[in-house]
Amino acid sequence: MRYKILTTDDSKTVRIIVRKAFKAYDCEILEASNGVEGLAIAAKDAPDLILLDVTMPVMDGVEMLTKLKADPQLKGIPVIMLTAEGGRDNVLKIAKIGIRDYLVKPFKEEVLIEKAGRVIDLKPLAEQQAKAKSIFDPADILVVEDKPAIIQQFRDGLKHTPWRVHGVSTQGEAVDFCNKTPPDVAIMSLSLPDEGAFTLFRVLRTNAKTKHTPIFALAVKTEAAQQQQAQTVGFTAIVTKPIDLGEIETKICKALNLDTSQRYFSIQGGCLIMRLPENSSPGVLAEVNTYLKAKVSEAVDAGLTKMIIDIHELKNLHMGVIKVLLQTMQTARELTLQFALVGNAQIVAECKGFEDTRNWVFYDSIDEAKSNLGKTSSGASAQMAGV
Amino acid sequence: MPAAAEINEPLIREYITRAVNDVFKTMLGRVPVFVGATHHQADDGMNPPPPGPASGVTPFVVGTVGFLGDINGLIYLYLDEPFARMSTCHLLGMTEAELEEAGDEVINDAIGEITNMTVGGFKNGLCDAGYPCKLTIPSILRGSNFSIEPVSSAVRHTYVFESSGNKVVADILIKIGD
Repeated sequence: MRYKILTTDDSKTVRIIVRKAFKAYDCEILEASNGVEGLAIAAKDAPDLILLDVTMPVMDGVEMLTKLKADPQLKGIPVIMLTAEGGRDNVLKIAKIGIRDYLVKPFKEEVLIEKAGRVIDLKPLAEQQAKAKSIFDPADILVVEDKPAIIQQFRDGLKHTPWRVHGVSTQGEAVDFCNKTPPDVAIMSLSLPDEGAFTLFRVLRTNAKTKHTPIFALAVKTEAAQQQQAQTVGFTAIVTKPIDLGEIETKICKALNLDTSQRYFSIQGGCLIMRLPENSSPGVLAEVNTYLKAKVSEAVDAGLTKMIIDIHELKNLHMGVIKVLLQTMQTARELTLQFALVGNAQIVAECKGFEDTRNWVFYDSIDEAKSNLGKTSSGASAQMAGV
Repeated sequence: MPAAAEINEPLIREYITRAVNDVFKTMLGRVPVFVGATHHQADDGMNPPPPGPASGVTPFVVGTVGFLGDINGLIYLYLDEPFARMSTCHLLGMTEAELEEAGDEVINDAIGEITNMTVGGFKNGLCDAGYPCKLTIPSILRGSNFSIEPVSSAVRHTYVFESSGNKVVADILIKIGD
């Protein structure tokens, strides 16, 4: 949802500063230069928040606020006063009319954003764009951990990704980092002193810049109570020590809603290639299943007629893999897509041991599979269709 | 309502110094330093102090905002034109070329707002000291050779601040007890 914020101030300078402050957020800024204009825009556009100055020509902010609160259609619109008028008695008088907050000029843009973020669910524009991101796009991962060795494990374990891992050791450093560079994901150790991770979690959740940032709790595997507490508080995910970087990578992708399909599906030389990685954990197989139908349909829609299922990187076969492969073949058959398998000696041997897989025919390479699909496509397909 | 404190020069100096510091630090990222002051009763027969860092050469942009209520007065904030331009660029995130294209109106509005915030800070001090008053709408005066002379019975305090070689002059005219 794109929020509308109405800034009512006779100073064009203030209106420009407000526009500049909210530039990085998914919201529309409406402008009025006095109370009369402000009321007209409020009635026409029903803004989600009004920022209101006091001293203005034509109609001042106090009069506009009074009229706004007297109008049944408009009285629900939250108002934050943004004014140089800051004398105690005047502030109290205005507060009594009904406002959500009061910010005295001069003001810092961050403070304005923070106050507005308490009234409306401000989302950074970058977060909106993240939805279309893929695993090949860079992202900033903040690790808050007082043990440098753990931070190093994250750096080493994620170095094959385009993600930047930033390590800090205290809450204060984390807050400073987030204010300068809001991370795409924050991972914080629950073993920080004085329950620091929980305090930091609350601080980040009240900051508009990090309000929606996925925050993972990092806990020792056996610390069940801590993990339970993190879940109750609302951490996005729990990851455990000893660290399984594969699991963390999958969770980051999920939290960022990244398109990971390119890991498993690609189009090469007029063929749809589906590839299962060496470590095809249940999480990986679930991901493959999520994309399967859509990717096969897309390929058919694009005019492709051939598919290669490449499992040569797999070290061993298990039921999860077999289920996914059967599902893939079924989907290909439904869409009359010819397919061939590429495997390694270990996999081929293991396939002989299962009733469902013993008739599968494998090729040694994608090129070999492609050329055979071209020559005896129906045969190859038929051989595998024997399952 | 608290009993009104006596508005004397140290209090005025404290309020204006705090206001100038708050505004320039928060909005312009500068830390002005108080460098001097002059004080006159308007009808004491002395010439009013010079309005800015220089007269007759460098053009000035002067913002004015008044305060009206249990205490009345006006504050003029003098910035020489290059500093006014620099401040406007910083405030609005504009380049000098963009400012050139936007014209003087943008500078006037920006300096008007800087003055409004400064006088607002000063006035809030007066309100909290027991002198409720309200701000007026800002106005701008431009030129390179002019002087502002108050009517009699007003007290005039002029405070000079400096920040990275740029001077800011706050010229305060106050009438008490009307």
